[in-house]
Amino acid sequence: MKVSKAIITAAGQGQAQLPLQSVVDRSGNVRTAVDLLIDEVVAAGIEEIALVIRPGTAEQYLAAAGSHASKLRFFEQDHPRGYGDALLRARPFADKEPFLHLVSDHLYVSRSGVACAKQLVDVAIRENCSVSAVQPTRENLLAYFGAVGGSPVPRQSGLFEIARVVEKPTPTEAEQKLVVAGQRMGHYLCLFGMHVLAPTIFGLLDSRSASLATDESFNLSDCLDQLARAERYLATELEGVRYDIGEKYGLLIAQLAIALSGEDRNRILSELVELLAKN
Amino acid sequence: MPTERRDVGKRLIEIIVAENSPVRDISLDQVCNGLERAELMAACESLESFRLNAGNPYQRVRALFLLYAIHRFHLPVQLVGRECGEIPVVGYENLLSRRFSEAIRDFLAVQKLQGPSITLSSALATAYHRLAFQTLADQVRSSVRYVKGNQWMFRTGHPADLPLRLRPELLRTDAQGMYPVLKERTSVRMDFSHSGWSDIFFLGMDYPEGARVINASIDLAVRGQHSRPQPPIECAVRVIDEPVLRLVSVDLSVSTDVTSVPEVFDFARDYLGLVKAAVIAAGLVPPGMEGCDASIEDVLTKLVGPDLGLEVVSRVNDIPKGSRLAVSTNLLGSLIAVCMRATGQVSSFTGTLTEDDRRIVAARAILGEWIGGSGGGWQDSGGIWPGIKLISGAVATEGDPEFGVSRGRLLPTHHVFEADEISHRTREQLQNSLVLVHGGMAQNVGPILEMVTEKYLLRCEDEWQARREAMSILEEIQDALRSGDLQAVGKLTQRNFSGPLQRIIPWCSNHYTETLINKCRSQYQDRFWGFWMLGGMAGGGMGFIFDPACKAEASNWLGQEMLRTKREMESCLPFAMDPVVYDFEINALGTAAEFSTTAAMPDGYYELMLPGLLKLSSQELSTCRRRELEQVGQACRDARNSPQQNAFAELSHRLMDRILPRGAQQSSDSRALEVLLRAHGFDPVAHEQLREELRGGRLGLSQNRLPATTSVADVLPEDIVDARGSQSRSLAAAGENAIRAGEVAVLTLAAGVGSRWTQGAGVVKALHPFCKMSGKHRTFLQLHLAKSRMTGESYGRFPTHIVATGYMTEGPISQYIESAAYPGKALVSNGRNVGLRMIPTRRDLLFAWEEMQQQTLDEQQEKMRLSARAALLKWAQSQGEASDYVDNLPMQCMHPVGHWFEIPNLMLNGVLAQLLQDQPELKHLMLHNVDTLGASLDPEVLAIHLTSGACLSFEVISRRLEDRGGGLARIDGRPRLVEGLAMPNEQDEFKLSYYNSMTTWIDIDRLLNVFGLTRDLLQQGQLVQEAVRRIGRRLPTYITLKEVKKRWGNGQEDVFPVSQFEKLWGDMSALSEVDCQFIVVPTVRGQQLKEQSQLDGWLRDGSARQIDQLCSWSEP
Repeated sequence: MKVSKAIITAAGQGQAQLPLQSVVDRSGNVRTAVDLLIDEVVAAGIEEIALVIRPGTAEQYLAAAGSHASKLRFFEQDHPRGYGDALLRARPFADKEPFLHLVSDHLYVSRSGVACAKQLVDVAIRENCSVSAVQPTRENLLAYFGAVGGSPVPRQSGLFEIARVVEKPTPTEAEQKLVVAGQRMGHYLCLFGMHVLAPTIFGLLDSRSASLATDESFNLSDCLDQLARAERYLATELEGVRYDIGEKYGLLIAQLAIALSGEDRNRILSELVELLAKN
Repeated sequence: MPTERRDVGKRLIEIIVAENSPVRDISLDQVCNGLERAELMAACESLESFRLNAGNPYQRVRALFLLYAIHRFHLPVQLVGRECGEIPVVGYENLLSRRFSEAIRDFLAVQKLQGPSITLSSALATAYHRLAFQTLADQVRSSVRYVKGNQWMFRTGHPADLPLRLRPELLRTDAQGMYPVLKERTSVRMDFSHSGWSDIFFLGMDYPEGARVINASIDLAVRGQHSRPQPPIECAVRVIDEPVLRLVSVDLSVSTDVTSVPEVFDFARDYLGLVKAAVIAAGLVPPGMEGCDASIEDVLTKLVGPDLGLEVVSRVNDIPKGSRLAVSTNLLGSLIAVCMRATGQVSSFTGTLTEDDRRIVAARAILGEWIGGSGGGWQDSGGIWPGIKLISGAVATEGDPEFGVSRGRLLPTHHVFEADEISHRTREQLQNSLVLVHGGMAQNVGPILEMVTEKYLLRCEDEWQARREAMSILEEIQDALRSGDLQAVGKLTQRNFSGPLQRIIPWCSNHYTETLINKCRSQYQDRFWGFWMLGGMAGGGMGFIFDPACKAEASNWLGQEMLRTKREMESCLPFAMDPVVYDFEINALGTAAEFSTTAAMPDGYYELMLPGLLKLSSQELSTCRRRELEQVGQACRDARNSPQQNAFAELSHRLMDRILPRGAQQSSDSRALEVLLRAHGFDPVAHEQLREELRGGRLGLSQNRLPATTSVADVLPEDIVDARGSQSRSLAAAGENAIRAGEVAVLTLAAGVGSRWTQGAGVVKALHPFCKMSGKHRTFLQLHLAKSRMTGESYGRFPTHIVATGYMTEGPISQYIESAAYPGKALVSNGRNVGLRMIPTRRDLLFAWEEMQQQTLDEQQEKMRLSARAALLKWAQSQGEASDYVDNLPMQCMHPVGHWFEIPNLMLNGVLAQLLQDQPELKHLMLHNVDTLGASLDPEVLAIHLTSGACLSFEVISRRLEDRGGGLARIDGRPRLVEGLAMPNEQDEFKLSYYNSMTTWIDIDRLLNVFGLTRDLLQQGQLVQEAVRRIGRRLPTYITLKEVKKRWGNGQEDVFPVSQFEKLWGDMSALSEVDCQFIVVPTVRGQQLKEQSQLDGWLRDGSARQIDQLCSWSEP
């Protein structure tokens, strides 16, 4: 498998401005969230990037992408029909090739020095199949993520054969369908917002789209669930953490995490201590 | 010998661990019958060591039951002559605190030192029995917790952790700003057969192959009240614009706004315990949050959104308690289903549920029952499923939480019969032939379920065979349903009831039910196809199958006949309500939900809620509330002009009726109470004095006790006469002669209303048909008269039999005595004293709960009890401490004043004077309690009394663990009977070897002398009255708390503790001038039957058989 393209979806309701937020990167430079996301993609050796956006926002993204602007192609989602539909818009770009897919409301911090996207792409190439990055997540956060169920791949640490994917499951459903051996009690493998997907996914998205009325939305997780039944589909735990910047204080926490993993770690720690002492 | 001894234990352990059926199902009796004491003791030793080391809880439980049964039934027979033993106080305290293992260790240590005794065996039997049930209950709870889908709720300990969110559909308001409603309608379940109570969780987990039930989901209509059958349960959930959890029970007419998490776990605070249990089990406020002191607003902010709340409404359509249709479990299931739909925990938002969804709802309902401290069988949530189904126990396999622990899984499997298995025609025929009724009795089925569990786990031979027969009847019922033969179904359900069910548990039937069956048979003969017992026992919900051609007529006839029979029996059986007949239809959907933005709330909701809202100013109402009021108002106005809107037209009438005040009138109940008090010798002056003393703290539970300086010791051998051996036989002739000469009469004390027997329901205990003997249900009084008849037949003179009655028992007993065909003289001595119950003082309530020893309950039940006590304290304070208790039926407000008064009554009412005139040869009375079934005119015991010359000869028995409440003691060096209430220290009771049976032989002339009277002076009423007062003043007055049931609504019952006073007969032994002796008699003679749960052991240990031999049942 060769992965040379990436698709970032940024057309979600209330999400349009998130990737354009300013963030200080690990080196102390002020950049935008989308710029950092593209860094991830580039670190994985990918130079062709599609951004699925709301109509009329391409200029803003071009400005926000900084030095990466030339790598971008834009696909507009003119009617908000959900996450599944957004990805489907970039089908011509993928052109029957596997692709890396990221959501635009997450930021990633690697713990290993190797970018998260790079780690994921390496696994996908090695296993030659679709792979979604996952992160063990406590059940009280299930309402925010898609989650996968399945079984560990023998003798492969952090790699799982996916049997089910459920979007924002209740803990009741998760306990019945998504328990994965070896995970801590009450923890589930939730999607990391980063996937390498075979082009099969577009067929599934297309069928799903066709089965619904033109104004009905559909998400990606249902099609990932079908993908798991249709072909080998793995999940992998990466050496890194995702931060959902769409949540309350999400951007702040992501910023702190990035700063604490960067050059100004000591300064930020001192500031935090001072802040704590004053409050 | 030692080798053989080891073998018995080994054999029993082989039975416990056996996987295969023939060995596993060998009964204890088969192994232990005929064994000697040493062999039994050795077997106990082996079993004790086995159970301590067994890793598997079910093997432990079986070992515990075997140990219990050996100590309860086998060892006592071998321990004759070793009756008395010492029960260590610390062991008893451990038993009360549910530290059963420690209690067993303490009892065994004493047994090792002192050797075995019946007393110690009784203590060990109780401890083993309780530990066995505790282990079983713990196992079920653990399984419920570990059902997939339930576990997370125990990890969620704070609102911030709550992972559930309300479905967005419920948050979308309409143009008026009103939130939509999600409504769930659920049927109840009616079981064709439960294969001999095989749906008890423990049994399904022990023997899943035998756990099989057929039940149907049904809709109901009360005949003559509702137009057509409807799902009887309706629940609703909606968002409200106030940050509270509003819980509403329309049928119980109660609602509350919960504002904190602890309130949700306070079950007994109001009548909404079941709704709260559902909210918890559905995960809205998960069980892990118990103990979290958060505001409910924090939970709702996460679950619903900021400044919003949730309203959960339940409504049961006129089905009274005791319907045997599992209404509460299905209500719980319905509430849980609607809450789980609202939070996306099941896949269907509306319509019916999928099989997976039903299973998780059923698992949550079991959890809810555990949380709410109630219990049910595993078939009970059957109303969630559609149609008719076969529910079967499932063997636990790898991956199940039960695997390796129990043979069966907690949750059974459901097979819903399709139309090609049971045709639509058969279903229709069933509807056209079965008359479904509520007979009006409401009884606690709990003791029966314990008895069944015990018998099955012991593999009692006859019961195990009966179980197999019940299992085969279930197969035959299935066949009959498949072939559409309803007549065969009727025959089979009748055979099930008359055969295996009563062989396993005779107490599942009662006199009322059998009278109804006989009446059906004689009225409709072969058009009556059979009786159908529903649920755990008969008397409440029941079925009668008739030829469809006469079903309509039979329904009307049965309704009237049940009412007539109830009227005849209501004084002796615990009826909660008048009987009703139902129309029913099989529900083909199971539970189903509808979502509507315009739907109104369940019927009755507005009548309940609107009056309260109207009292508020419009500024105090939330926006939604104001709009809802306007909408209801508009609908009522529109209904006037539009005849189609009948529902709202009716609503406006009902609302007016509820809102506008009625003219004040004194209730007929309070007038009736005054009349009754006057008629029964109520002394208002003494009552006021009592109230003063209660309020002043001079009387009360703590004042019942003798001074702390009193010395209490066990009696010495010279203080008693032992009548258990053969030495008294030589005296028998004197006793026989006295009986022949008419020198002795029987006095049965029958003023009691069976408070413990019926948990405060109030029936004439003497006339309660408690047990079948010689093929018929017999009352306590019938049994005592049958003993007197036997005495007469044996000695040629029927003794005079006097029955002492009280205000509640006088009428029915007099009526019975008039018609009883007793060949001798039978007299009724009417009560002359009555008290008026009072609201207890806070001091006495706290003393009873905190200072007096009592059994700690199971964890959840204990929480319920604590919560109920807090509510009762508030009740007592709000009603006024020591004020008159008048908020109940007049008869329940009055109380008998203690059995000391029975003899004075005999003097005051002239019965004794008349009797002595008619029968001057009469010299002695044998006084006994109505529940001392073994008391008879035994010539040997009588002879001991005669030869002693004592004024009073009290019969005592060797004490067993359950014999609590005083006994025979040396008080400050003088032997006398002492009441448990009077013990200066409750631990002193453990020093006493003998328990008071209350049976007393009275030398009439000597007793009259104590009162300062003679036979002649009895005619002088004033003198007698003064004599009685004089002696009465010298005896202590005890304050006691009694539990009284108050019935309301549809068979609902509340139990209140009320204060009353009493003087007790045993205190006569404290008077120095009364010459007393104490005769130790065999236990079977002095044992009292106080609770229904004692019946089974009484039957099994041979006591019933021995007593039956004392009776002559020649009456019709």
